[in-house]
Amino acid sequence: MDLAIRAIVLYAFVTILTRVVGRRELSSLQPFDLILLIVLGDSIQQGLTQDDYSVTGAAIVVGTIAVLQVATSYVSFRVPFLRPVLDGQPIVVVEDGKPIERNLHRERLSLEDLMEEARQQQIGSLDEVEWAVLETSGAISFLKKSGS
Amino acid sequence: MAAPDEIDLGRDRDLRGRDKDLWIRRSLFALIALIPLLALFNVFGQRPTTAKATVPAATLSVYAPTKLRGGLIWEARFHITAHQELKNAILRLGTGWAEGMSINTLEPSPTGEASHNGQLEFTLGHIPQNQSFILYMQFQVNPTNVGHRSRSTTLFDGDTEVAAVHQKVTVFP
Repeated sequence: MDLAIRAIVLYAFVTILTRVVGRRELSSLQPFDLILLIVLGDSIQQGLTQDDYSVTGAAIVVGTIAVLQVATSYVSFRVPFLRPVLDGQPIVVVEDGKPIERNLHRERLSLEDLMEEARQQQIGSLDEVEWAVLETSGAISFLKKSGS
Repeated sequence: MAAPDEIDLGRDRDLRGRDKDLWIRRSLFALIALIPLLALFNVFGQRPTTAKATVPAATLSVYAPTKLRGGLIWEARFHITAHQELKNAILRLGTGWAEGMSINTLEPSPTGEASHNGQLEFTLGHIPQNQSFILYMQFQVNPTNVGHRSRSTTLFDGDTEVAAVHQKVTVFP
């Protein structure tokens, strides 16, 4: 029983944590962002199963997290007003080639980060971009101007 | 220049009505940051503390953490200083010491071990006046052992109670 309870508590904690640390850390692979992702997995595992090496224990933990995952996504799908809480909302970071500083600042995104993402999508200059949207997943979608 | 579908410029560009989101996020982050801060102040253990009982015959000192977490390996040190000769020192540990704990080892081995109404009783033997006896015990917390326990340590000389230390121990999940 305690394994399932531990899985529920840690799932809730990690869910809050991932919403709180911001999207940048979720999608970015800067060295200091990687630290969080690697340490998170290792620490969570130890707190979850502790000295339980059994297959039953692993099945309980994986099963609990799978159920919670499906339940969360079902709630997000069925209850629209909870979607911003569970998934977040997109943020427009570039409009008509101009970065929106306030929105970048809010998400701790520098212009360099934005340009790096743009280059990865074969965009050399923000002048080519009509809209850039920081999605709830942490990825940035670039919509090019027509003719670019 | 129309906004992409599903993008609400008021909400997603001008962040109208989303100022509170930032404060909620900051507040939750402050709560998360509070956890390691409290840990630095030993709120979640396992820094040992000393509890002491001094009577004319002896001083009984228990050096052990009172806040623990599941799976931790920890030590308790029982230090008996005999101000007067103790002919047959006996240390009696309440059930809170052993409940949900693995007792890995204790040194030096007592001359006798027994149960007294469910409490652990270790016979340490003769301790001459102005001499000390230190008993080391190594424990590990069973991960399912969570909550508060009361932990008592009583020193006897034969059948006579000499000194007692009472503590509360908290085990965090």
